[in-house]
Amino acid sequence: MRQVDCSRCKASFPLRSTLSLNGQTYCETCAATIAHESKQEGQAAVFTRNIDGSLCGLCGKENPSGSDFPFRKKLPFCEKCGPLVERWPYPLWLKLSLAGLVLLLAASLLHGRTYFHAGNEMYRGEKLVRQARYAEAVLHLKEAVRIAPGSDKAVLLLAKAALKIGDMQTAAIALQGHDEGHFENGQDQGVQEMKALWDRATAAAQKANQAGKLAQEGGKDVEAAKLFREAAAEYPESKQMTAAIPYFDEGAAFERKDYDRFLALAQEVFANKPDATNAATIASAWACKYAVSGNAQFKDEAEDSLLQAQRMAQSDAEEVKALEEYLPRIRHRIESREIITKQEYDKRFRKNEKEKK
Amino acid sequence: MFFIPGIVITVLTFPGVIVHEAGHLFFCRVFGLQVYNVCFFQFKNPAGYVIHESSDDFTAQFFVSMGPFISNTLLCVLFCTAAFLPVWELKIVDPLAYFFYWLGISIGMHAFPSTTDLKHLWQRAPALAKKGNLLAVLSLPLAGLLVVLNYARVVWADLGYGILVGVLGPIAIFKAFVR
Repeated sequence: MRQVDCSRCKASFPLRSTLSLNGQTYCETCAATIAHESKQEGQAAVFTRNIDGSLCGLCGKENPSGSDFPFRKKLPFCEKCGPLVERWPYPLWLKLSLAGLVLLLAASLLHGRTYFHAGNEMYRGEKLVRQARYAEAVLHLKEAVRIAPGSDKAVLLLAKAALKIGDMQTAAIALQGHDEGHFENGQDQGVQEMKALWDRATAAAQKANQAGKLAQEGGKDVEAAKLFREAAAEYPESKQMTAAIPYFDEGAAFERKDYDRFLALAQEVFANKPDATNAATIASAWACKYAVSGNAQFKDEAEDSLLQAQRMAQSDAEEVKALEEYLPRIRHRIESREIITKQEYDKRFRKNEKEKK
Repeated sequence: MFFIPGIVITVLTFPGVIVHEAGHLFFCRVFGLQVYNVCFFQFKNPAGYVIHESSDDFTAQFFVSMGPFISNTLLCVLFCTAAFLPVWELKIVDPLAYFFYWLGISIGMHAFPSTTDLKHLWQRAPALAKKGNLLAVLSLPLAGLLVVLNYARVVWADLGYGILVGVLGPIAIFKAFVR
């Protein structure tokens, strides 16, 4: 270890503990005094730390030969510390931890493929909901909810999208599968919006069911049609309800004995949905017109429509069954020119059949 | 407000400290700065440190000081992205996902550079910014903001930053990549 004398107090000190100023060497005590004096005179004394080249700058080891260690930039380092300071190594545990984390991350990403798929479907659905493309959104959101039925966001979006296209069943399944429709934040705007939509849809559905029951009772078709129209107006998103309006209107026209209107509606419904039952309804309307007028042309029209209905029903068992109930009533109307309701027909001609059953 | 000793937070989020110091070391190596000592974690203040030579090169100084802020933030986003969907959006109980979220937030909340690191930048940046050094121009508002956030650590600004990055980062990624 090299020694040097302080220029001020003349005492001897290890070189590395001294400082330099303007070519002079000072011990730490004298340097502090000089710095204080300079400060009082309004000057700044800038000392530099002296370096003992025979001592390693990191471990402090003395060079056995007494000569300087090689300098790396500004400091001397022994052969062991030199490479260390130039390129401090990452410890093995750090490298192993990093490798472990990378593996774990890869495993997690692999394991999370399902989540990424669900998330992707949810975000796509969300985007489509924002664009009011609800039918497309439902397809994506159904997939998201299948994987994550507990997700508030996915369930809310699905319920909303489904209700917006009148698909109450999908909305109901999603909500029931999500803690019976309970959400973490019930006051959330999305929850409130969906709840309002759900309440409106269920109220409309109840009204529609009530209308259906009235129509089946007989003699209440006008009231049923009015109620059903109200239901459809309350929940216009339901295309099914809107499409069913003409069926109720047919009943109301029949009840009001407005057979021209009844025929026009039946033809309109058939044009939209050409099936056996709707063809039979046209036959029913022509039969009514024949019954009240005796016009043979109306009878022919009724017969033609009946034949068409029978032809159309051939490939469909359900339609065949429906016609088995409907056709005898229409035939009775044509043959007797008497217009009676289904209830009256059943009372007169099917009482025995029911008793037999 | 409630008080939790800093050392408890540090222990609970120790991976962030290790990653922060590893970030300093990484950038020291990248810019060829001599390193005299490294502590990746200890049970006292400071929880970790890297002692390295000072550099006259502002770019080196910037990256050594701000490197951990960049690397911790990126790693926070990465780990939180792996766990974001099951934890936040899909509400699926998956221990691995929760582990990654803890890891991500821990790393994110130790992103802030120390006040000492920022002080060095703050001292040199104005003069260099006047000369048109873009990095110095960028570092001025960033260092200023980080100084404020460093002081706001008493009100959990570091944890807030970790959570913010761990939530907004993955959201931004997913929104950007949704087909």
